[in-house]
Amino acid sequence: MKKISHLAVPYVVWTILLLALPMVLIVFYSVVGEGNTILDVSFTIDNYKKFFTDKDFLIVLWRSVKIALETTVICILVGYPIAYFISRSEEKYRNLFILLVTIPMWINMLVRTYAWIGILSENGVANKILSFIGLGDVQLIHTQGAVILGMVYNFIPFMILQINSSLSKMDNSLLEASQDLGADGKTTFMKIVLPLSLPGVVSGIALVFLPSVSSFFIPKMLGGGQFFLIGNVIENQFITVGEWSFGSAISVIMAALMMLSMYVVRAIEKKNKVDRGDD
Amino acid sequence: MENKKIIQFRNIVKEFDGQVVLKSIDLDINENEFVTLLGPSGCGKTTLLRILGGFLDANEGEIIFDGEEISKVPPHKRELNTVFQKYALFPHMSVGENIAFGLKIKKMNDGVIEQKVMKMLKLIGLEGYENKDVTKLSGGQQQRVAIARALVNEPKVLLLDEPLGALDLKLRKEMQYELKRIQKEVGITFIYVTHDQEEALTMSDKIVVMNKGEIYQVGTPVEIYNEPENRFVASFIGESNIVPGIMLEDYKVKFDDKTFDCVDFGFKENEAVDIVIRPEDLDIVERGKGKISGQVEDVFFKGVYYDVTVETVEGTSVTVDMEVVKEHEITSADGKEKISANDFYVDIEDMASLDEKEIIARADAQAWNPETDDYIAISKIEYDLKEELGSYSIKFSTNSGTAIERKIYVIDQPYVRNEKANEAVSAFNFYKTVEEISESVALDTDLKTWANAQGWKLNNEEESVDIYVSYDFDPEEVKEGKYKVTFSTEGREFKVNTTDFVEVGTEVDLTFFPEDIHVMKKRVF
Amino acid sequence: MKKDKRIFGKFIFSSAMIFFYLPILYVVIFSFNSSKSLTSFSGFSLEWYKRISESSEMMVALYTTIAVAVIATIVSTFIGTISAIGLFKSNKLIKRLIGQINDLPIMNPEIVTAIGLMLLFITFKVERGLLTMLLAHISFCIPYVILSVMPKIKSLDENLAEAAMDLGATPWQALYKVIVPQIKPGIIAGALIAFTMSVDDFVISYFVSGRGVKNLSMVVYTMSKRINPSINAISTLIIVAITIVLIVINVAPVIRRKIDSSNAKEKHFLAKKSKAPTIMVVAGALLLFIFSFNFFFASGGKYEGKTLHVYNWGEYTDPETIAEFERETGAKVVLDNFDSNEQMYIKLANGESYDVIFPSDYMIERLIQEDMIQKLDKSKLDFLDDIYPGVRNLDYDPNNEYSVPYFWGTVGILYDTEKVSEEEVAEQGFDIFRNPKYKGETYLYDSERDSFMMALKALGYSMNTQSEEELNEAYNWLLDAVETTEPEIVTDEIIDNMAQGRKALAIMYSGDAAFAMSENESMAFHLPNSGTNLWSDAMVIPKNAKEVELAHEFIRFNSSYETTIKNSNFVGYTASNEEAFDFLRTDKEYFGEIDAYTPRVGYEKDEIFHYDEEMRKIMANLWSKVKILATSK
Repeated sequence: MKKISHLAVPYVVWTILLLALPMVLIVFYSVVGEGNTILDVSFTIDNYKKFFTDKDFLIVLWRSVKIALETTVICILVGYPIAYFISRSEEKYRNLFILLVTIPMWINMLVRTYAWIGILSENGVANKILSFIGLGDVQLIHTQGAVILGMVYNFIPFMILQINSSLSKMDNSLLEASQDLGADGKTTFMKIVLPLSLPGVVSGIALVFLPSVSSFFIPKMLGGGQFFLIGNVIENQFITVGEWSFGSAISVIMAALMMLSMYVVRAIEKKNKVDRGDD
Repeated sequence: MENKKIIQFRNIVKEFDGQVVLKSIDLDINENEFVTLLGPSGCGKTTLLRILGGFLDANEGEIIFDGEEISKVPPHKRELNTVFQKYALFPHMSVGENIAFGLKIKKMNDGVIEQKVMKMLKLIGLEGYENKDVTKLSGGQQQRVAIARALVNEPKVLLLDEPLGALDLKLRKEMQYELKRIQKEVGITFIYVTHDQEEALTMSDKIVVMNKGEIYQVGTPVEIYNEPENRFVASFIGESNIVPGIMLEDYKVKFDDKTFDCVDFGFKENEAVDIVIRPEDLDIVERGKGKISGQVEDVFFKGVYYDVTVETVEGTSVTVDMEVVKEHEITSADGKEKISANDFYVDIEDMASLDEKEIIARADAQAWNPETDDYIAISKIEYDLKEELGSYSIKFSTNSGTAIERKIYVIDQPYVRNEKANEAVSAFNFYKTVEEISESVALDTDLKTWANAQGWKLNNEEESVDIYVSYDFDPEEVKEGKYKVTFSTEGREFKVNTTDFVEVGTEVDLTFFPEDIHVMKKRVF
Repeated sequence: MKKDKRIFGKFIFSSAMIFFYLPILYVVIFSFNSSKSLTSFSGFSLEWYKRISESSEMMVALYTTIAVAVIATIVSTFIGTISAIGLFKSNKLIKRLIGQINDLPIMNPEIVTAIGLMLLFITFKVERGLLTMLLAHISFCIPYVILSVMPKIKSLDENLAEAAMDLGATPWQALYKVIVPQIKPGIIAGALIAFTMSVDDFVISYFVSGRGVKNLSMVVYTMSKRINPSINAISTLIIVAITIVLIVINVAPVIRRKIDSSNAKEKHFLAKKSKAPTIMVVAGALLLFIFSFNFFFASGGKYEGKTLHVYNWGEYTDPETIAEFERETGAKVVLDNFDSNEQMYIKLANGESYDVIFPSDYMIERLIQEDMIQKLDKSKLDFLDDIYPGVRNLDYDPNNEYSVPYFWGTVGILYDTEKVSEEEVAEQGFDIFRNPKYKGETYLYDSERDSFMMALKALGYSMNTQSEEELNEAYNWLLDAVETTEPEIVTDEIIDNMAQGRKALAIMYSGDAAFAMSENESMAFHLPNSGTNLWSDAMVIPKNAKEVELAHEFIRFNSSYETTIKNSNFVGYTASNEEAFDFLRTDKEYFGEIDAYTPRVGYEKDEIFHYDEEMRKIMANLWSKVKILATSK
C-alpha cells in the first residue's frame, strides 16, 4: 500500500459491480422486449406505456403514495412530541429513552408485524379492549387502518431519532435568547424550536416515506391478500407473474419517483439549512 | 446627580448538585453604570448573570430590580436583555429579522419596527446588512448584531456574557471601545462578564472581582489596580510582585529582613501581611543607591519597555559531584547483546520506595543489540539490600543471560535547609559515562534525575519547589573526571518594568517610594 | 406551565412505549401458550419451544440469519472502514461519484435494490443461495458503515496520519495504531447498524436467496399465513438474545471502568490496554457457533453428506416425516416453499436447482412440454400400484412417466351451518358469492385460476375455455362478486380463520376444508353442481436435479402408507396411497366424518386444469385488476 487513498480501490470496484450494475440492469430489463435473457434484445418502451396508460396501475401508485403520506404525517404528529420530550429530558434519562426507542428496531420487522396480526385479529387484545370500553366488535385486521398502523409502528422510530438529534443539537442559548427577548414558551417553540428542527423532520420524512411507499409485506400481512400496493405489484410481477420487463419498468418508475422526492426534500433542506459550516 | 440603585442582589446563594457556586452574594448596581464581573472561570460570575437574566433560579436570596423583587419573574418578562457568549443569533433569520425579533414579539407596528431596526443598524455600523444571512457574517459583525438585537428592546440593563471571547485580539480591542461608546450613547446599565482583566480595566466604571463564589472586591478600575484588597485581587489584576511581610506598626512594614516606610496603617502590630509592588513602580538604580540589592536574572524586550527580573535573595543550593567514568558496557559472548548500568547513591530514607523500576531508572540500566540498535528488556534484577548504610552489589541481566554488576551506595544524605526562604534542597553524587552525557537531549532534566535532586517547602514537605541546574563543563567536550553540579532554587525575584536596558548579571539596586508599597490583609483562600 | 408540558410529554412517551412494546410482550406471552390460538391464553406450556428445537427448518434459518449477519458485519465493517479512510484521501471526483453510488441502497426503495441484485445474479448465472445472500447483505451494509465512519474521519486532524508516518510508522501502522483508534466509536456504530440491518432484512434476502436458503424473516413470512406459535417462540428467543447483548454492551463499559479505576494506580501508561477483547470475544463466540453448527447436524446413513433440495407448497408436509427421512437416509433435506405454481415455475425457469418439486396437474403438463422435468426411473417406482387408481394416469401425464401423485382433491364452498343453510348453498352454488346477503361474510382465495374457475363454472363454461369473451364474462362476474359481497382475498390464513368461524363462506380446497371441519364442527363443505376443479399435486424431478437417486428415494418414502397417513393427517389433504386413503376416510379418529376429505370422482362437469400460457396471462392480469378494485374499497 503506497498511499492511503488506494484503500478505496476495492470498494470502488465493489460499488460498480454490486451497486451500480444492478441499477443499470433494472433499467436495461425495463426496456427490452419479451424474453428473460439478454441475448435476444429488442428495445421497447411498451412497459412504461403499459403502466401509464392503465388507470388501475396509476390508482395503485396513487394509493401507495397516499398511504405513505398518511403514515408520514402520523409519524410527524406523534413522533415530534416524543422526540421533543426526549430532547428536553435530563442527560442521563435521555440516553435511556433513546435506547428504549431503538430496541424494537433490533427485533425483526416481520416478527413485530406478525405480532400485530394476533393483536388486531377478530378476537384479539385490541378488540377485547375496544369492547370493554363499549366500542364493540370492530374489524381491525385486513383494513387500511391496520396497514397504516403497521407502517407507523415500524417506521416511527426513524422519525423520532431524526427529530431528536436535530433538537438535541440545538444550542440552548438560542432558546434563552428568545426568552430574553420577550418570547414566552409557546412563541419560542413556534419561532425558534420548530423552524430549527425542520431539517430533522425532513430527513425523518425521507426515512419514513421511502419504505412506506415500497413496503409489500406490511400490506400483505396486515392488509390481507386483497390489499395491493405498488410494492406488491412489483413483487407479484417478479414472483408470480414472471414479467420481469414490466416489473423492472415499475421499479424504475418507483425509483425515479423516490429520487425526485428526495431531490425535492433535499432542496427544501438546503433552503432551510441551518448547520453552520457543517455539510 | 445621585446614583440610583437599579439592581440589588441580596444574599444570593446557588448550589449545583450540592456544590456551592455562589456563597451569599450581596451587590448593588447603579443606573447607567458599566459594571464588570471579573474572575477566573468557575468563580460564579456567569452564574450570577444567568440568575439575573432569569435562566437560573437562586437557591436563596432576592434580586431587586428597579425597586421590585423579580426572582419569580420569568426571563421573557424581565426588563433586561442579554448578549450571549456565542451570540445565539437565530440561524434561520436574517440580520434584520434577528434584530426585529423582540419587537415583533411585542406586536409593534411594522413601520415602527423597521425604523428602530434601521436605527440600531446605524448604531452598530452595519447599515445595509438587514437582509444578510447571519451565518455569513464575521465574528465581529455577529457580535454587533447580537448587541443590536438586545438593545433594540430598550432594556434598562444589558447583560453581556463574555461577548468578546470568540474574537481575535485586534477585533477584541476594537470592540472594547465600541462597546463603551455604545453604552455611553444609549446611557443604560451594562453588566459585563469577563475573565480578561485588561478588558475590565479598559471599559468599566465599576469592577466586581469574584473568586470561588464570593465577591473579593468592588471598586473603580483605579482602586482595584492600586489598592487591591488581597493577594488574589492583586495577582489577578495586572502583573505584580507579591511578598509576604510583617506590619511592624502604622507606616512601617518589614519584608525580606528589611524595614520600609509605607503609607498604610490600621493593621495590628506585627500582623502578617502581603505586600504588593507593581513592576512599573520599581526602578533600577546603581548598586548602593537603592533600597534593595540584587542581580539581574532575565531581560525580555516587550516593545515599549523591558521586563526585567531581579533576584534580591539568593535561592537555596546544593552542589554534588558528577563522576564521569569510562564506557562500561558488557558485551555478551556471542556479541549480540550489550548491557550497561551505573553505580548510584540512595538515601537511607528513600529505601522504602526503592522498587525495581526505580532501580533501573537510577542505575540507568540498559541492554541493546549492537547491530540493530534495538533495545532489549532487562528481565532480571538480583540484589540484596538492607536498610543500613553501606554498599551493596546488584546484578542486572537479560533473558539470554547477559549480565552486569554494579554497586548501590546507601548513604545518609544531608540536605540544605534555608529557613529564611522556607525551603530545603537535596541531591546525590552520581556516576555517568561520557556518552550518556553527550547523548542527552535534555541535559538539565537528566542531571536532576541522575542526582535525584529535590526541593521542598520546610513547612509542607508535599509542596515541591522548582529546582534549577548549573554546571561549568561543556557537555559536548566532557571527559572522564569529577565535575561539580549545582542545584538551586529561585530565591526572591522582583519583576521590574523599565524603559532602560540592563545587562543580565548586572549587580543593581531597586528603589521605590513609600506610596508604591501597598499592604494587604492576609486572606485564607 | 412548565410542569404541565412535562406531564403531557410523559403521557405521550409512556403511551408510545406501550405501543412499542405491546407487540413484543404479546409475542413473548403467547410463545408460552399451550394452545395454538393467538388471541386467548389457555395455559402455560413450552410446547412451541420444543417444536422449534425439533424443526430443522427453523434452526437452520436461525443459524443462517446469525451466520450471515456476523460475516456480513465483519466484512462490511472492515471494507467500509478502510474505504471510508481511502475515500477521504481520494480526489474529489472519485469521492463524489462513489458517494452518490453509495447512497443508492439508502435512497432507493429496498425492493428496487433487491430486484437489481436478483437480476444481477440471474444475468450472470450466479446460483442463488447462501453466497448471494451474503454478498447482498455485505453490499447493503457497507454504505451504512461508511456513513457512520465518515463524519468521524472528517473530524480528525488531517495531519494525524502524516504525523504518525513522520514518526516512522508505515501507512498500515498509521492506520491501525492512530486512525482506527480515533474513529472507533464510528466503526462500532457502523458495525451495530450493519448487524441490525442484516438481522432485520427481509426484502433483499427474499429476492436474492435461493435453493431453500432462508433467514428468519423469510421463514416468518412464509409461515405467517397460518397461525404458527412457533414463530412466537423463536421470536422470544431472539428478543431474549438481543436483550442480553444490549445489557452486555451497556453494562460492560461500566464494569470495565470500575476495574480500570481500581487498577489505575498500578497501571503503567505503556501497559497494553485490554479493550479490544470484548468485541473480539463476541465475534469469536458467534463464529464458533457458526462452525459448530454443521457438526451438530451430522448423522450416519447411506446418503450421508448429501443434501436433498425439496421445493414444496407451504405447510404441505408433517415436519416429523422429514426428520424421519433424514434419519433413515443420513441425508439432509433443505425445504423451500412456494405459494403458487407460477412462483415455483419462475424460480425453476431461472435455473435454480431442486431435486424434488410438487407442482399441480397443469403445471406438470407445462413442465413436460418445456422439457424441464425428467422421466422417472420406473425400476425404482415399484410402488406405483399402491396409488389410488382415480389419480393415476391422468391426462397431464398419462402413464405417470414423470410424476407420482402426492395429494389430490377438489375446490368447493366451505360454509358455516349456523349462518348459511345447506339448501341455500346447494341452490345457488358459486353464485352465493354474489349474494348481497353475505356482504362482508366471504373469503375468496388469492389464486387467479381458482377464482376464474369459480366464475366460469358458475356461468356454465369450461374452466379450460379458450374464449376471451368467456373470460371477460367471468371477469365481470368476479367484479360483481367483489362489489356486492366485499370479500377478503386471502391465501392460507383462510384455513385458520374458517376453523375459527370468522366468516360464513369461503372458497376452499377440499383438504383445507377438511382441516377446518375437523377443528370446527359447524363447518360444512359443498361441491356445486355446476362442477368444479379436480386437481392433483404430484412429485416430479427437475432436469437439473443434482441428487436424482436420493430424489427417487424421497418420492418412494412419501408414497408409503405410514408417511402418507402422517402427512395427510397433518395437512388435511387427501392421500394418494390407496390403502392410506381408505383408512383415513373411514376411520372416525381421522376423517371418517368429514366428507370434504373424499373428493368427488367421476362427475362429468368436474375438470382438470390444462396448461395454456396465453389464457393464464390474461387471467393473471384480469385477476390483479380485480384485486386492485377490491383494495380501493
